[in-house]
Amino acid sequence: MDDHLVGVLSNIGMISFIALSAYLLLIVGEISFGQQAFFAISAYASGIATAMWGWDFWPGLAWGAAVAAAAAVLVGIPTLRIRGLYFSIATLAFAEMVRLVFEVFKYQVEIDGEMVGPDGSDGFRDIRYIFENDITAVEYMLMIYGLLAAVLCAFFLLERSRLGSIFRMIGQDPVLAQMQGIDVTAYKILALGMAGLVAGIGGGLYAHLTTFVEPKIFNVMLGVHSLAYGLIGGLGTAFGPLIGVAIDIGFLESIRAISGYRMIAFGGLVAVLLIFRPRGLLDEAAVNWIRLRLRRRHA
Amino acid sequence: MVSRAFACLVLASAMAWPSAAAAAERAKAQVACAPTGKKLVYECEIVLMGRKSGAPLQGAKLVVGADMPSMPLAHNVRPVTAAPGGKPGMYTATIELEMHGEWALKLDVSGPTRDRLIHKMHFGAAKGATTGHGHHMKK
Repeated sequence: MDDHLVGVLSNIGMISFIALSAYLLLIVGEISFGQQAFFAISAYASGIATAMWGWDFWPGLAWGAAVAAAAAVLVGIPTLRIRGLYFSIATLAFAEMVRLVFEVFKYQVEIDGEMVGPDGSDGFRDIRYIFENDITAVEYMLMIYGLLAAVLCAFFLLERSRLGSIFRMIGQDPVLAQMQGIDVTAYKILALGMAGLVAGIGGGLYAHLTTFVEPKIFNVMLGVHSLAYGLIGGLGTAFGPLIGVAIDIGFLESIRAISGYRMIAFGGLVAVLLIFRPRGLLDEAAVNWIRLRLRRRHA
Repeated sequence: MVSRAFACLVLASAMAWPSAAAAAERAKAQVACAPTGKKLVYECEIVLMGRKSGAPLQGAKLVVGADMPSMPLAHNVRPVTAAPGGKPGMYTATIELEMHGEWALKLDVSGPTRDRLIHKMHFGAAKGATTGHGHHMKK
């Protein structure tokens, strides 16, 4: 397979995790501009685990995702008491704070005669697990998509569960949900923790693929994109954000003639969709229509 | 519901466990890029060598790509395979960027050793000037 194609497909897979993370929060009615913080925390934590502590890949990835989830819960406890725009601003502020912390975060150990570890604004290099263990780009891409499939399965199970119904109920009308006896803040904190975990999986995968992370990567641009993917693709199903990612990185990436104007095209697409389909291409109505058609065909 | 959960478990467990392999000497690179006559097109000379031995790394396949750290996954350059240059361990590649600014060149080495080297470099608008540093060059 062509190297560039493998790279683009790997990027689509990795960014899908942060898109799903933002989507989960959109389902509970919260707009977060800060999912890149959890992506970053896991990228650093899992990189430290494998490159500095000598952990295997899977425990390292699990550790990174767990740290990201814990950070998300800790952020959620104070911030989810505020609502709407104020929550969005709080998540953005937290993400910028995390980025600035990584700008000064230095923690290095000597491995094989060389210093390895986060070095402030110079970033964290030599996260080389996949090279040291001879994992090819195609194998790593398959690992990314295996994990993505598992996460998607978890989303589909969630959406058919009582918890999924509670999340959607909270997203539709938190006051009504509270009147039904649902602890809205507790469920939102749970959603934020789960979203942190999903973003964390993506962050760990990203760090190990690129072998290098630096604070600049985790700026607000990444957070805005992750949010936009759900809004473009649709909030009716977990496939929605993936469609958003595929449109941005897949479709727009493939049109090299507009490469320099890609961000303008992407921004324009978001604006148009927010006017004509405010809950994205695959919104709840579209998903119900597709389900009905499929049921009729099978009947 | 149960069948879906079972399918999810099977899918998750089907992911391959990475296999270990013997590690070769790591590479380091010296990179210099110069503007060509065409806008945003740069000719890069890359010298690959063993990180400890310093011996030129010959017969390697070198693929050069680039990402903008400030816009991750948003702007990236189609990777090009570098051609062997005039000296041992030297390779040349022509890259076409999307805009000026700081780029992280990704040097994917395969053959005698397999490695990915990251070399951050600023491609400026003024006279197409470049400045850069890679962590392998900092000592």
